[in-house]
Amino acid sequence: MESLYGILHGLAVAIQPTHLLYTLIGVFIGTMISHLPGIGPSAGIALLIPVTFGMDPITALMMLTGIYYGCMYGGAVTAILLNTPGDAAAVMTVLDGYPMARKGRAAAALAIAGVSSFIAGMIGVTCLSFVAVPLAAVALHFGPTEYFALIFFALSTVGALNGNSIAKGMMAVFMGLGLATIGIDLQSGVPRFTMGLTQLQDRVSFLVVVVGLFAIAEVSRMVEGTLGGTLHSVKVEGKLWFTKKEWKRARPAIFRGTAVGFLCGAAPGLGGTLAAMLSYVLEKKISKHPEEFGHGAVEGIAAPEAATNADTCGAFVHLLALGVPGSGATAVIMGAFIMYGIQPGPMLFHTQPDLVWGLIASMYIGNIMLLVLNLPLVGILSKILYVPPGILLCLILGIASAGVYSFNNDVFDLYLALGFGVVGFLFRKLDVPKAPLLFGLILGHTLEQSFRQALTISNGDPTVFARSPIAAGLLVCAAIMIGASIWSKRRPVKDLQLAEARIAEQRLAEQRLAEHRH
Amino acid sequence: MKSLKGDAQLAVGVIVLAAVYLYMDMRLPEVRLSDPLGPKAFPALVGVGLIASALLLLFERRHKLRINPLAETSTATDEPGTNPGKSIRHSPLVLVGMVVWTALYYVCFDRVGYLIATIVFLFGLLTYFNRNRHKTNIAVALGFTLVFDLLFSLVLGVPMPAGLLSI
Repeated sequence: MESLYGILHGLAVAIQPTHLLYTLIGVFIGTMISHLPGIGPSAGIALLIPVTFGMDPITALMMLTGIYYGCMYGGAVTAILLNTPGDAAAVMTVLDGYPMARKGRAAAALAIAGVSSFIAGMIGVTCLSFVAVPLAAVALHFGPTEYFALIFFALSTVGALNGNSIAKGMMAVFMGLGLATIGIDLQSGVPRFTMGLTQLQDRVSFLVVVVGLFAIAEVSRMVEGTLGGTLHSVKVEGKLWFTKKEWKRARPAIFRGTAVGFLCGAAPGLGGTLAAMLSYVLEKKISKHPEEFGHGAVEGIAAPEAATNADTCGAFVHLLALGVPGSGATAVIMGAFIMYGIQPGPMLFHTQPDLVWGLIASMYIGNIMLLVLNLPLVGILSKILYVPPGILLCLILGIASAGVYSFNNDVFDLYLALGFGVVGFLFRKLDVPKAPLLFGLILGHTLEQSFRQALTISNGDPTVFARSPIAAGLLVCAAIMIGASIWSKRRPVKDLQLAEARIAEQRLAEQRLAEHRH
Repeated sequence: MKSLKGDAQLAVGVIVLAAVYLYMDMRLPEVRLSDPLGPKAFPALVGVGLIASALLLLFERRHKLRINPLAETSTATDEPGTNPGKSIRHSPLVLVGMVVWTALYYVCFDRVGYLIATIVFLFGLLTYFNRNRHKTNIAVALGFTLVFDLLFSLVLGVPMPAGLLSI
């Protein structure tokens, strides 16, 4: 009942004209970003954070959240029309979306993706509303011991499940934790690892790291793409709707995909890509026509699209209820919360009900806006695909530089962002996942404080972590997660490999075509 | 670079980084007010964690080599979303050039001023990446810089450095 009142209260906040306008701006920008291959939601949100300075936090967070789910919504467009996922989570949509588009059913594929995303988004937000409140009530009883264990568990999951190697995932987590230790230690007042630079005394700015690691580093990927040739998209022709037969096949897949996606989102670190992959594999396993998968099966579009959008809502569950992000993009949003002086977590439901419920309600409204943006207007919006990548990458660098400078009005931040851009490039080349570093950076400070507080309370007795049943349970889960991950040797799933191979093949064919034309 | 050789280089690099980090941690003063751990303990655990993950990477590499002895020499396929071929062979030089150009832009950012530095920076980049479209490039460089300068100084209240234009 509390959730129902909360949603109604949130709707009253979200329908204020300013909030409606910024939600619309957010989802629109998110859709645009998702149409630009190479820029994911994390980079998009990071680039836009400086623009929200001076805004009311509720309005700003509604806009940034809108960018996140707008990105997830629109990722299918490039997957279907270009054979290139707009964001990493849309990689499975490529498998059946592009073949369906090549058969002249691009409009139907886009419509199925749009409707699947809408249904999954609405169900996901409803689940978020009803799950977050009881979870926050439980978390209110957490002390530093339990918080340490919870963050340790989240970091272990993120490190173990991101990328193709647990060692690289853990490496990135520890690098993030190392970055979080830079600056003045709040308990002793000792400056740590500042190398005499006063700019580092107030810790490494999260915005600088995110912009460098995601936005500036992604420019390098675009440079490689720009020099390699041009992208060829399938034209959207005919009525933007699907047949009754297609809907009958897509409907159960949407609901199954939503369930898989929400559960994956609710587990920290699993992410949208895994949700899409699991839902795709599930559909293929239970389908009466598994041979159609990979050749334009409707379920192959509906299930992963539903999963990625439900995953977005699931990722907000522990961000709002526990103060622990569920994905790379929610880690960036958590950074934005902190920048506005708001600490996400269980107290948020009591101290900032307008913000929490307004944000949740804005997701309902944003979903409706996205359906309108992604169905009738998809033909117009997809025109952004034709913006020359050479212009795009220059503009991204320009926006990133202006945004980073405006944060502290200090050129030092620009050098730091460029340095992290180079680090991001090396991470990509060495196949090291970036999201775990972000998690380490964002949660590192709380992890250290909880650790030290827990040991202070127990007079330095480390068994305090074993005496608390919740903490012990979470630490055992973390150990199992790491052990299982090492044992399973982290072999990539066959379907994901197939999707990636197909994208690479298509790129090669396009380049040959371009060379032949020249 | 996504080869096992690259993994070995990464592991060694991380071990060196962790050693420097641990050395700097050791040099921190010992302060224990009400806190039994002090400011050095947590970073020490992070440093050890970094070394452990690097060793785990070396272990993973050895395991992969045992399964496929040719893996060390073979290079991985290009990642999806990038175009393989001769362009990739040229791109490292272009990327280095871009980093240098961007660093130069940042050096001039305060001294020359946002407007002049950004217009020159963007026009330089556009001339290379959007070739033979000089009118478009000038329009984009000028338009973007003016819009962002106005956005930050007037709408967001964050004035960008005026540099030479303030004289």
